[in-house]
Amino acid sequence: MIRSLLRGLFIGFYTMLAAFPLAWLAITSLKPVEDTTATTLKLIPWVDFTPTLAAYSQLFAGDFPRYLGSSVVVSLISTVATVALGTCCAYGFSRFPIAGAKDWLFFILSTRFMPPLAVVAPVLVMYRQCDLPNSHLGLIVLYTAFNLSLAVWLMKGFIDEIPRAFEEAALVDGYTRVQAFVRIILPQARTGMAVTAVFCLIAAWNEYGFAMTLNNAAAVTVPTYFAGLQGDVRGVPWPQIAGGVLVFVLPIVVFTVLVRHHLLRGVTFGTVKG
Amino acid sequence: MQRSGPRAFPLAYAFIFPAILFLVVFNVYPLLSNVWWSFTNADLTGGPWEWVGGRNYARVFSDAKFAAALRTTAWFTALAVAIELTLGFVLALALKERFRGKTGLLMLLLVPMMMPPAVMGIYWNFLFDGNYGVINQVLTLVGMTSPPQWRTDPSLKLIAILVVDVWMWTPFMLLIALAGLNAIPRHLYEAAEIDRASAWMVFRRITLPLCAPLLVLAALLRSTDALKQFDLVMAITGPNDQATQTLSALLYQVLFGSQRVGLGSAYACVVLVVVIALATAVTRYLDHLAARQGKPT
Repeated sequence: MIRSLLRGLFIGFYTMLAAFPLAWLAITSLKPVEDTTATTLKLIPWVDFTPTLAAYSQLFAGDFPRYLGSSVVVSLISTVATVALGTCCAYGFSRFPIAGAKDWLFFILSTRFMPPLAVVAPVLVMYRQCDLPNSHLGLIVLYTAFNLSLAVWLMKGFIDEIPRAFEEAALVDGYTRVQAFVRIILPQARTGMAVTAVFCLIAAWNEYGFAMTLNNAAAVTVPTYFAGLQGDVRGVPWPQIAGGVLVFVLPIVVFTVLVRHHLLRGVTFGTVKG
Repeated sequence: MQRSGPRAFPLAYAFIFPAILFLVVFNVYPLLSNVWWSFTNADLTGGPWEWVGGRNYARVFSDAKFAAALRTTAWFTALAVAIELTLGFVLALALKERFRGKTGLLMLLLVPMMMPPAVMGIYWNFLFDGNYGVINQVLTLVGMTSPPQWRTDPSLKLIAILVVDVWMWTPFMLLIALAGLNAIPRHLYEAAEIDRASAWMVFRRITLPLCAPLLVLAALLRSTDALKQFDLVMAITGPNDQATQTLSALLYQVLFGSQRVGLGSAYACVVLVVVIALATAVTRYLDHLAARQGKPT
């Protein structure tokens, strides 16, 4: 009795602390800008301040839609590319006897641990030669490369679970290997591909290190834009940032809820099956 | 199924080659080019350069800033992982039982993980602010007369970054710890009950040892991430603050502050040795876990 009460209190306390910054985002997004830097606590709408949707209308009337567009283009295309390349690669490792397969897989995984800042200078120089900095394409290709390790590992776990008997039957029926892959494996691996896509999307959506160092004008993504607003001499538009973050994170939350049964795989590179 | 044969081989490589090509271009090539440049005095403007031998490395190892960044990163990683692991595990213990609305609560607790770290950094600066920050306003309200100056006190700046990191990544530990707890066979607890084992004994002899492999995995994965810490540092204090300069922030400062690619590459190579050592530990451990998972329990 006392134990479950203590447990409830602990969970309640942690949830309150963890959820407060999220609730504060929503509250801040509804404030008139001058109320965000008040020196007294302004917590409750209608009591402490008059709520307004002005921040949202300013947000969408300003540059935000353009940066959101950049984020969408870069994240979606790189996610599709990553899942496609990753699924093919995972299928190769799952079904063919490849010499040193284990070493290859660990090489692929190890690329995930590379700090972006340690590789960004060579990439930047390479991009300058191909005229790629300041472009969506540059970020798309880079994000694809950096999410591949996750995609290969996740997809290999999912494809390993598809019984080989399905393909064998198809091969006996006269399908070629590629046809069997497209018609049998891909439909079976749909869930896995969706889960992989969500995790690649989150990584690309929130990425900052590369986006900030490689681009300074043409393909600014939302994280770079908001982070760059800090220290603005005209004052930081906190309600717009708060509202923008909520808009920005909403699709990610929805996708995550949709793949909630596979979250554990996603965060452990598919090595722990939930 | 026919597993080899003359035609299977080229096809197998056709499946894996495109992905490997990407990784070679964006990981192996930058690595090699880092090694090459680290012996030159090249700069980002692409002007003429010459060989300087080991001079860059001599500078890296005699640089007080590098030693400080190494220390800051090590401290940050150790503290972040320890706090997040402990808190996540305790939360998982508290959330183990089924109750109404559990899935909803878990999803809510996971939201900080999905936030863009760079933007959360500047947002938390807004929360930490000494004049209009809500954290100190609440602390004042509950009776603290001189609330901490998160943004100006040098000894608190790294703590502030830690607070944000803990907020964002404790759910990661919670998720993995919860899976570990749920995988423990119920009959073990029943047997312990029959033996009248104390709660502490049950925890010490059943819960902790059976959860440990997953907790170690979680700690290793989180360490590789924390070692790269850049976004929060950049947003909360900027890359060049003595109190919070992590290795990534220092790399940024050398490369983009002073544009010296040669020196930056030498820094990057040293950082990469550390990262590769850790990555090897992680992959070895994953291998070990997979081997164990293969066996029936």
